Amino acid sequence: MELSQVRYFVTLCRTLNFTRAAAQCQVTQPAFTRAIQRLEDEFGGALIFRERSLTQLTELGRAVRPHLEAMLDAADAARSTADAKAGRRAEVLKIGLGPGIGAGEIGGVIHEVTRALPEVTIHFEEAGPAALIESMLTDKLDCALLPDFCDLPERLNRWTLYRDNAVAVLPPGHRLAGRNALTAGDLADETILHSEYCGGFATRLAATCPLRLQRCHGATAQMLDLVAAGIGIALLSDRLRIPPPLAARPFTDPDLSRAILLAVVAGRPLNPAAGNFLKLCRARRFA
Amino acid sequence: MGNKGDTARAAARMPGRHKIQPAGVRKIDNLTARLEALLASRRENAGWNAAYEEMVAALARTGFMDHALKTGEVFPDFMLPNAEGRLVSLAEIRAAGPVVISFFRGEWCPFCRLMLAALAAALPEIEAAGGTLLALTPETGGLPLDMKTYHKAKFEVLADVDCGVGLAAGVIFTVPKLYRARLVAAKLNFPERHGNGGWFLPIPATYIIRPDGVIAWRFLDVDFSHRPEPADIVAALRTMRAQA
Repeated sequence: MELSQVRYFVTLCRTLNFTRAAAQCQVTQPAFTRAIQRLEDEFGGALIFRERSLTQLTELGRAVRPHLEAMLDAADAARSTADAKAGRRAEVLKIGLGPGIGAGEIGGVIHEVTRALPEVTIHFEEAGPAALIESMLTDKLDCALLPDFCDLPERLNRWTLYRDNAVAVLPPGHRLAGRNALTAGDLADETILHSEYCGGFATRLAATCPLRLQRCHGATAQMLDLVAAGIGIALLSDRLRIPPPLAARPFTDPDLSRAILLAVVAGRPLNPAAGNFLKLCRARRFA
Repeated sequence: MGNKGDTARAAARMPGRHKIQPAGVRKIDNLTARLEALLASRRENAGWNAAYEEMVAALARTGFMDHALKTGEVFPDFMLPNAEGRLVSLAEIRAAGPVVISFFRGEWCPFCRLMLAALAAALPEIEAAGGTLLALTPETGGLPLDMKTYHKAKFEVLADVDCGVGLAAGVIFTVPKLYRARLVAAKLNFPERHGNGGWFLPIPATYIIRPDGVIAWRFLDVDFSHRPEPADIVAALRTMRAQA
């Protein structure tokens, strides 16, 4: 298929009007129509349903549209990044971080984005999945890292980046610090600190067995301070760096592991910094 | 056709041939024979053969040779992630000399493996002729690194995420029904491997880009078993150097 054919089709999807779409693409209508017909030939069926005053996507057209949009965006992005690098335009890369998800794993990717586009500013927003999804849909965030158990609307594309598991974060000298791994039974007599932003490990564990929960609404840093003060134990992601003298022990039973997804609104063009961030995340394998 | 491949390999081992060929070229000049042998063995499977014929016929009909980027046109600049997670810029690389851009179908494709092995063997000559080799694959999720590691490749393997560069070059197609069904049966999950549900692949295209971005040479074929001989790529690079 040709770049122009795909561009015509995507423009037609957005306008649902042959005359307007052809004008937007600066091509004659017969040439426009022929290009769409050749694309339909390649896909082996009609993409567009035409009646006198009505132009609609067929089922096949609706099915292939997001993939062709993604490919067209990628073609344009590969080019605009090269231009952005040459022009040194300032960009902001806005990344949402879901509950208990640190930026440690994507640090290397961000480093590479800043190397290629030195003018970029990195902006993080930590919030619950619903708030981050809303921010993405209203264009306040480019993308977000979210746990797999949240409800993602159809409009968001998502790719699994890695899995994380729970660790129990213990104060210095705690009786459980000598153990290699902990289970639900070990925590029966302990107070578990629980915050909206801790990653949902404590909530999911509490659904399987009785737990003594101490609610504390704050960020991970405050939760670690409370663990150090001896108020209780926190269940956090094993991907977070836990500063000494706190100790982190793997929590193995029941399995509280979760997949961390990279989510982005489908069909929305991204600035070069965000586009490259996404491509770098998707190209590699996270350990 | 299987015999032909064996014959070619046997001939390559004959001492007499060494004398009439420049050192180093000997080991890279039999890719076509290997591809033909592989194709012949695959075509013995009737199901595979039907899918192969459907695909080649469909691609021949849609006329790639006319609309893909041609010699004399400018290859658009791009930036793509490499296997190690760095961004590679065509503009930066071509400033240093000619760039060989080769589109591959993926780590899973045995025809691509033969060509990658041949390119890995020919890399010293490609580089001696002033060329930098970039291999592009639509695969993601660490598969470009697997491809590079498998071939101990010292050239860049780039992830053409969502086939953007391939589309800009005009070398992308939608995998036809029969071939797609075979891929699915073989548990090759393209939506997962590509991170895109489109079932797009590139035809085996190879371009040589001049330092000014203009395409000096291309190899294009709708048949994925047809690939350029590395010796031809080296010869094209040497011609460019002689003309520069």
